[in-house]
Amino acid sequence: MARQQAQNTGQEELRRRGRSNLTWILLVLTCLVVLAGPTMVVLFLGMLPTVVALIIDRTKQKSTTFCVGSVNFIGVFPFIMTLWTDINTFDAAILTVSDIFNLLVMYSAAAFGWFLFLTMPPIISSFVIVLQQRKVAQLRGEQKDLIEEWGTEVASIVEMRKTAKQEQHMEHGVEGTGHHRGHRT
Amino acid sequence: MVDALNQAVETAEAQTDASLPHVGSDGVSAPPSPSPATPAPEIKPANGAPAKTSSTGIPEPDRGGPLPPLDDALFPPCALNDRYLIYPSKALPDLNSPQALAYKAEDRREPGRPIFALICKPGLPIRTGLLKELRTQGIRGMLPMLDFGPLFWSPIDQTTIAIVFDRPLGGRMLQSTADRFTRITEYEISKVIFEPLSQAISELAVISYAHRAIRLDNLFYMDKERKNLVLGECLTSPPGFDQPAIYEPLNRAFAMPSGRGDGMIYDDMYALGILSLFVLQGNNPAARFSDDEMLSAKAEKGTYQAMCENERITASLIEPVRGLLADEEFERWNIEALDQWLNGQRKTPIQRRPATKPKAPFKFGARDHMTVRSIAQAFSKSVPEAIKIIRSGKLEHWLRTSIDAPEIADSLLEIMTIPKGHEASLDAADDVLVSKVCMRLDPHGPIRYKHFSFLPDGFGVAMAVEYLRKGNFQIPGEVLARDLIGFWAGVHEKKTVEISAIERSFISLRNFARINEMGYGMERCLYELNQTLPCQSPLLNKTYVDHIDDFLSAIDDIADHTDKRSRPMDKHIAAFIDTHFKYDVTPHLKALSDPHEETSLIGLLSLYALMQWRMKIPALYGLSSWLGGLLAPAIGTYHSRTTRRHIEQEIPALVRQGSLPELFDLIDNADRRTVDNSDFEAAQIAFAHAEVEIEGIVGEGIDQKKVALEAGERTTAMLAITLSMIATTVIIFATTM
Repeated sequence: MARQQAQNTGQEELRRRGRSNLTWILLVLTCLVVLAGPTMVVLFLGMLPTVVALIIDRTKQKSTTFCVGSVNFIGVFPFIMTLWTDINTFDAAILTVSDIFNLLVMYSAAAFGWFLFLTMPPIISSFVIVLQQRKVAQLRGEQKDLIEEWGTEVASIVEMRKTAKQEQHMEHGVEGTGHHRGHRT
Repeated sequence: MVDALNQAVETAEAQTDASLPHVGSDGVSAPPSPSPATPAPEIKPANGAPAKTSSTGIPEPDRGGPLPPLDDALFPPCALNDRYLIYPSKALPDLNSPQALAYKAEDRREPGRPIFALICKPGLPIRTGLLKELRTQGIRGMLPMLDFGPLFWSPIDQTTIAIVFDRPLGGRMLQSTADRFTRITEYEISKVIFEPLSQAISELAVISYAHRAIRLDNLFYMDKERKNLVLGECLTSPPGFDQPAIYEPLNRAFAMPSGRGDGMIYDDMYALGILSLFVLQGNNPAARFSDDEMLSAKAEKGTYQAMCENERITASLIEPVRGLLADEEFERWNIEALDQWLNGQRKTPIQRRPATKPKAPFKFGARDHMTVRSIAQAFSKSVPEAIKIIRSGKLEHWLRTSIDAPEIADSLLEIMTIPKGHEASLDAADDVLVSKVCMRLDPHGPIRYKHFSFLPDGFGVAMAVEYLRKGNFQIPGEVLARDLIGFWAGVHEKKTVEISAIERSFISLRNFARINEMGYGMERCLYELNQTLPCQSPLLNKTYVDHIDDFLSAIDDIADHTDKRSRPMDKHIAAFIDTHFKYDVTPHLKALSDPHEETSLIGLLSLYALMQWRMKIPALYGLSSWLGGLLAPAIGTYHSRTTRRHIEQEIPALVRQGSLPELFDLIDNADRRTVDNSDFEAAQIAFAHAEVEIEGIVGEGIDQKKVALEAGERTTAMLAITLSMIATTVIIFATTM
């Protein structure tokens, strides 16, 4: 019961914080639209794939968003630079984004970002797995050396921790059973 | 000693001691093959009943007869102290003592000097203190002792004590008291008996010893002409052990032979009185009585009256005989009184106050008892009947009405009144109650408990003999646990210095007995009370170690032919060391008693190392090797395997040096142990850290692939961001340049 209450309180807190963030984003965007409207038009329409990535990326790290967004930005940034160096008006901005070739460049960059995100992580993860396995083997080797030199008693602290953990589990188990029983009654 | 354990020294019956099995009967100390004929010693303490029925009725202890001859080649002479050669094949049965067999001996420095040796029967406590005194000081009027020492006696395959004496050329005064002998007249007795014997008694008294073996069969003539009479030896058995009860004053005669105590000059004077009576009469005037009857008669009438009532004693000798046989010590003649008499100063004969006669006798055990002393003795022999009659109140009634002793009756009531809830306690057992009643009835008599009767100064020897006989300390342990000696001290109206000293001594013995640890218990009491008793450890059963200086070398000697898996330690050894070693070994004994094998081994090594160091013994190769082989669990106390290997490699070198202190330093070096402990703690922490890291990678609930994929995604995102930043910078530069 207490745990559920705490969970509910946490969700409420998150929701409140999300609402507050959205308010701030809208405020900043409004300011940016007022101050740099043409740039914002190109940026918004050019970065639409990133917005889509942001929407579909449910991970906490938002790696997909950052990956797609970064490469997408490379495709959009030259047109923004053109705006900034030539004519920085809404018409010029509309003209830029209405050119299919320009859009193809921007969205192709986004597509490359997606490509990167889909191909790179498995390759990197296989490297990471190999490295981790080597690390574990090295640590196990060190532990074996310690046992050879000091006997199995050297693992007494670890054993104690494990025992304590098990006891804790047991206690929680007993508590849980009691809790369920409490519900039934 | 194993043999000794098997040698029952006496029966539990105070006055009916049985003979012991022969040494070697268990095979341990059997003679080496092929000769089965050994001078098998048989320990048979003197008892009240004479060993042989005789026309004279004078009791004498059994000294054993001639033994089958031994082959000279198989049993060559043994050398004592590199000086005296003792011939096992040349027995001299005529010179046997009750507890020692006589053999021909030869002095290497004075060949031709007539000497002989007595070989003590192993196990029985002997009078080592007196032996040491006699080595430096001769006693006139006593068989001259030349030397003594432990000797490996091949016929019994065991080390025992041999004592060398000058040989009495005239032989024993009486080969046997069983045969009729020529009476010594009243004119001769002063010169022949009183003078030499009083000389010996007084010289012994100067060195604070009593002879305690003055009896007719223990007199010898030193010269062939049979003029120079001397007292025989008194060294091969505990004081009074071989004395027939008739020679002992009442209080000591009531005790079992081993419990008669060291005694004093008064006891020798009493024995001299009895001896002179026998010599004068040529027989035993009390021969018609059994021991019990004789003791009862002595208790009721007094010794003189009991022994001489139907005898005609020459008037001139009534005075010394009566004086020597006085039952009260303060009335008995001492050496000065005898000397005065010998010098012609006549005294008024002591008028003995007759014992108060009861109005009616007290019936118990089909006998009429006239004194409380004889009642006490009878009670001690049949406890179930005694407790019934005590509980019936008949004794109390008799005490009040017949002998007018209400104070004794009251204290009996007090003894029998057991507080509520304590009825089932051991202190309220019938044996304890009867023992206390006996003490109250006869405060000067022995403490009598379960047929174990002793005077407090004889408790040590009694306990030693009991242990040798039964192999346990059951009854002496109960005596201490029930605090019977404390009760005995309490029944004495006047607490003398001696009684207080005995009481204090037994309080400390009780404390020792209570502690069930190495160096304590009943074994400690045994050695505390018998300072000259050899160590009774089964490990030392073939050797004779009665001095701490010889202990380590004895253990070292047996190391080569002992099972090295056993420890060179047991409760006897620990108690022997704690009693005799002058330095404090309490912490070592504490460690030795530890239930953990490794601690106990370190305690053992440290104890022996301390002894070797303190006693400055240069090398103990056998013991070092023995202990070195046992130290594996002690080495295992180090955590580091490298350290262990190092120690194991070092041990053989130190064993070859025979140095226990160095071996101990190697095993239990403080610096090495500190380093080992701190390194071990560091290793434990390192192990735990490694485990935490491993848990972080492949621990429970961690999906390694997922984690790796997430890492890959993060890395890709970082790469993309980096790429984006680089591209942005390049574009800015390209546009603006």
